[in-house]
Amino acid sequence: MLSLAQLSPGHRARILQIPPEKKRLLALGLRPGAVVEILLKAPLGDPLEVRAGEAYLLVRRAEAKGILVEALSVAEPHELPPVRPTR
Amino acid sequence: MNCPRCDPPDNAALEAPSTRTKRWALVGGPNTGKSSLINALAGSQLSVGNWPGTTLERLSARLDLGPTQVELVDLPGTYSLLATSPEEALVARELLQHPPDLVLNVLDAGNLERSLVLTLELMELGLPMVLVVNLLDEAEAKGLKIDLEALEEALGLPVAGTVASRGQVAAVLPKAKEARIPSPKVRYPEPLEKAVDHLAPWIPNRGLALLALMGEENLPLSQEALEAVQRARESLKRMGHDPYLLALEGRYQKAREVYERAVHRQGSPAPLTERLDRLVLHPLLGLPLFLLALFLTFRFTFALSAPWVDFIGRTQEVLAGWSGALPLPPLLRSFLAEGLVAGVGTVLAFTPILFLLYLALAFLELSGFLARMAFVADRAMQWAGLPGKAFIPLVLGFGCNVPAIYATRALSHPLDRLRVALAIPFLACGARLPVFTLFAFVFFPQQAPLVVFGLYLLGLLVGLLTAFLLGRVLRADRGEGAMELPPYRFPPLRLLLRLSSARTGSFVQGAGGPILLAVLAIWGLLHIPLLGQSPYALLAQGLTPLFRPLGVEDWRLVGALIPGFVAKEVVVGTLGVSFLGGETLAPMGLWEGLRNLGEGLVQATQGTLQGLTSLLTVNLSLTPEPTPLQAALKEAASPSGALAYLVFVLLYTPCVSTLAALRQVVGPRWSALAVGYQLSVAYLLALLAHRVVP
Repeated sequence: MLSLAQLSPGHRARILQIPPEKKRLLALGLRPGAVVEILLKAPLGDPLEVRAGEAYLLVRRAEAKGILVEALSVAEPHELPPVRPTR
Repeated sequence: MNCPRCDPPDNAALEAPSTRTKRWALVGGPNTGKSSLINALAGSQLSVGNWPGTTLERLSARLDLGPTQVELVDLPGTYSLLATSPEEALVARELLQHPPDLVLNVLDAGNLERSLVLTLELMELGLPMVLVVNLLDEAEAKGLKIDLEALEEALGLPVAGTVASRGQVAAVLPKAKEARIPSPKVRYPEPLEKAVDHLAPWIPNRGLALLALMGEENLPLSQEALEAVQRARESLKRMGHDPYLLALEGRYQKAREVYERAVHRQGSPAPLTERLDRLVLHPLLGLPLFLLALFLTFRFTFALSAPWVDFIGRTQEVLAGWSGALPLPPLLRSFLAEGLVAGVGTVLAFTPILFLLYLALAFLELSGFLARMAFVADRAMQWAGLPGKAFIPLVLGFGCNVPAIYATRALSHPLDRLRVALAIPFLACGARLPVFTLFAFVFFPQQAPLVVFGLYLLGLLVGLLTAFLLGRVLRADRGEGAMELPPYRFPPLRLLLRLSSARTGSFVQGAGGPILLAVLAIWGLLHIPLLGQSPYALLAQGLTPLFRPLGVEDWRLVGALIPGFVAKEVVVGTLGVSFLGGETLAPMGLWEGLRNLGEGLVQATQGTLQGLTSLLTVNLSLTPEPTPLQAALKEAASPSGALAYLVFVLLYTPCVSTLAALRQVVGPRWSALAVGYQLSVAYLLALLAHRVVP
């Protein structure tokens, strides 16, 4: 298992574990099962910008270290989350 | 106290003609356009203030619906009713303890899934609700089509679609008439459902039971109920379940279902936000771009306001001149001119600065840039334990402490707001520069620029250290490690103008009185004789022994610190008067005054235009001071005493306006403490400075 902080921009990951007391991260959409994509690192390497669903989130390294993930494939540029095809 | 769930409000009350003012609360996530919506619905009625008992901003407006008057209240943006920040705690408290007549739940059409998670939670409260799906234009740009009817059907609630920033809100009021109390839609994982059922004898309301199970502490529950909740939580934990995670799971699943019924994707254009972010948040370009944006904010605020501050000063002179021509006793004329007019002038002189600052900040915040600046500055600010956003108020503090303190309102956590607000008064604002240059050139002619620069640096250091230490003392788990980046938006100009004028108006109302009182008190001290002597001289002479250890022994130097408490601008003037003798009030005729005002207006307009064209240039003009005063000062103190005096001027309470601003932002207790702290720090460091110079 990896932590979110170990991934580089362009990587996608599924969240496996997040401390339940991190209520703010959870409320923002970083919950177990969610797929996130690392978009950028700030100029000094901290914080990270990640995309969770339609939301763009900033996560400090210290917080990202506590989020355990499994790495998925490297993302296609501008890939959007899977959505059921139009009716 | 009536509880919203045990005693749900009567739905028919919404329709019944009544003269009572109804309260409609806007509830939704951050950046869902609640302020735009309130502005589009109620227009010029916008007002801002503080939530009672807190320093969080409260935006509201009145809506006249024929027989019914409605107060629209904008609750802070929230992701969940389970509080992870003081803002969110306020939302839960308002909804639970002062249930509104109607909840307007504002959803972001471009991020509907997560918006729905809050909606599902709100539906469990048992309050009449309407959904407003805002930002339909952004969703469309993302290739998303929202089926509002499918949403109505899936949730059983009226749904209005809006683009509030363009004023397209016509659907809201008709839908509000159809508001009804929702029936909860989420079926939670079995263990959580069982726990809710188990709690039914103590907490018959589902929403409240869930909040309690999830760990919310501030709920109106009996001791027995709390104990039952505790037991249920422990039994869930023993089975390896976290109630909060279970609740989230249930809500996300339902939100996903509703989302898939109501949202259809047509094509998939690359989001503009992502492409822009690759430039703005670039590893190398990000920092220079950030500094440029910071500089532009600073220049915009101070360059464009300066001509109008001058104009207000000129108006003040004309009014003072007119009162000088009135057939009144000299003391009364002086009261009008130097007390009343000067006091009102001091308050008004801040309005152009604040208006422009609010305009710049509202633009930065609503366009999405502020969050990006926070992203870039975050790492650098972490060593002082501050969030990246704190950079902006700190930089503004070098222009003027008052708007900088108001700018701390952009910080989301009250503890950060407090720490930065208490740091700002130490930053050397523009008004302190004349004192610095005067003394530096008299006492340190060779190293004058170095001394002035050193003072600026000292102010910054003391300020940052203050913020750092306060962070240590007031340690709290703030969960600030993550935030959402809003998409880039072009904020509507009308909203920007209305928000800035409403916020400026709130300054005049809240801070105007105390500032005026302080100016009048100082006027009294200077002009009303006591026991045949000026109370000013008596007080200054009384205080002088206190300043002797600092090497400041002349009572006239000490005296100038007293009006310096009102505004640092007057320190040099007061020194001039007390060392060289006073000036008398020059009376002014009606026409002369009017001509003067007309000229001032023309100059201010020209100055604004010049400011606009020269936003990117820097102007570092130092005010030259009259030589007679320099000579007199040289006699009055030693170089080490002068340095101590400068350090004291730098660090003690900058002005009453700063104090009034602090009072509004951090409350009366903290601002009183701040004055004590500033005086002690100023005294101690001045004492040190006196020892440094031989």
